[in-house]
Amino acid sequence: MEYLLHILVIVCIYSILSMSLDIILGYTGIPALGHAAFSLIGAYTSALLSLNLKISPFIGMICGGILASFSGMIITFPAFRLKGDYLALATFGFGIIVYSIAKNWVSLTRGPMGLPGIPGFKIFGYEIKEVWQYLIFVFIIAVMIYFLLSLLINRPFGRVLKSIREDEIASCALGKNTQFFKLRVFMLGGFFAGVAGSLYAHYITFIDPSSFTVIESLTILLMVIFGGMGTLKGSVIGAFLLIMIPEFLRFVGLPSSIAAPLRQMLYGLILVILMIYRPQGIIGKYRWK
Amino acid sequence: MIQQLILNGVITGSIYALIAIGFTIIYKTVKFFHLAHGVVYTFGAYLAYSVISSNLFNNFKLKFFIGIITGIIGATILGVLIDRLVYLPLRKKKASNLIFLLASFGVFIFIQNLIQLIYGAQILTIRTGSIKEGHHFFGAVITDIQIIIIIVSFFLLIVSSLFIKKTRLGKAMRAVSDDPITASVVGINPEKTIFTSFIIGSSLAGIGGILISFETNIEPTMGFNAILKGIIASIIGGIGSIEGSVLGGFFLGLAENIGIWKIQAGWKDSISFLILIIFLLFKPVGILGKKEEGAG
Repeated sequence: MEYLLHILVIVCIYSILSMSLDIILGYTGIPALGHAAFSLIGAYTSALLSLNLKISPFIGMICGGILASFSGMIITFPAFRLKGDYLALATFGFGIIVYSIAKNWVSLTRGPMGLPGIPGFKIFGYEIKEVWQYLIFVFIIAVMIYFLLSLLINRPFGRVLKSIREDEIASCALGKNTQFFKLRVFMLGGFFAGVAGSLYAHYITFIDPSSFTVIESLTILLMVIFGGMGTLKGSVIGAFLLIMIPEFLRFVGLPSSIAAPLRQMLYGLILVILMIYRPQGIIGKYRWK
Repeated sequence: MIQQLILNGVITGSIYALIAIGFTIIYKTVKFFHLAHGVVYTFGAYLAYSVISSNLFNNFKLKFFIGIITGIIGATILGVLIDRLVYLPLRKKKASNLIFLLASFGVFIFIQNLIQLIYGAQILTIRTGSIKEGHHFFGAVITDIQIIIIIVSFFLLIVSSLFIKKTRLGKAMRAVSDDPITASVVGINPEKTIFTSFIIGSSLAGIGGILISFETNIEPTMGFNAILKGIIASIIGGIGSIEGSVLGGFFLGLAENIGIWKIQAGWKDSISFLILIIFLLFKPVGILGKKEEGAG
């Protein structure tokens, strides 16, 4: 039971990640392949603040989100000039650079040794220790982010994003500063991914760079595509299914040396099959042309 | 010190160039980033390893030779299979480059983990006889294997660029690359040309993988780094240009190895991606490339 609750916490965290990617990838149509980098920045910022300066994880989470959001600004510069697979490659490079900074800046991040003993969240002096309590906490945050994002994308802001996705030149012609919109959407997506990273760090209490690899970015991307790009519900469904399906491998009783590669193989296979037969995902309407 | 770093740069560069040229040959006809090229490289190395470390033949030289041949043929077959099973359906649907890229990534993840499932995640070594001291060469040390790597790569680089430039098949490839419809009007079958480019490109990847497996170790994730460097080399050299990809490969190999003269070795990958992003932003056509859609 405890294990099931743990899986649900992970589902909530990944839902936040996939929703935050969806507004970049699904709504604005920017192929961002380095999303784990934002969550890395969020996780490390908030973990380091609470470990070294004893700052409350809540403030750390916000700081992590803001820093991730600013790093989103950096990634926008390639997005101004590049398109399609070239942009995908540049964002991929961003992911790898951030990962190797976390791995090599040993004096700050302790490199591959990771950061152990990250304190948990405290609400009015009461520390969240039990998994079910954390589940309620993360669930509330995920729901809040869901409503916040759906509020945003149903407003004119969201419609401009969709117009950039459908035809950037046309929306430029209508007087929309599309580059500024891209900047804002990256900052927004980066912020929530940073929050998700921080939630992860304070839940697991240990982080190391290997939790935020390029493969992780691909997993988040796959969740968005699997559920359906351009729908927040789809991203949540994608996160839920792609976390739950591989868990069956564990129930069958396979050792982790077999279950881990099998899980990755499953992800690879799902990605290939989706691309060939259903690039719009389960409930999505939008697909890359 | 600097001589050794330059020499290491040339050795790394020749492997990067070998992957980049295979990647470019395929890119020229299909026009998308064939990421799974990296796993073809891994597969070649693992197949050669399985034969060489097995006890099928008593004669070591024969076993060695058969291992190399099996690796190259296996890699070639894998490359062609990926094209037939995954890319062909996508081509029929006229999918976008991004879809090709992601499907290719999916294939990559699938096969890499399949290899890990079979052989385990640990590092394996191909024993090629006793360990000997290298030769001294202008203040640097070079081993026999490294000399072989440089000679074989240079030979293949020259042969494949001559092939593209001079032979009928190579010309067909360039025609399909420029305009597949016009090419088919004059009687060149684009599908057949793509098939040929996958055979040549994948066999070069297989050779690259086997060469590196004699020099260092093999592990399931080796192809990831290799293909990223191959793609970066192709882009900074000028995507779609054979000479460019060779130039890019050596440039990248040298930049990485000379770069670690001043900074730690862990930053190697960051150096190459930084070079990539700088090129994408300021000179997206690369050193030798022509104007390309999508970039810039």
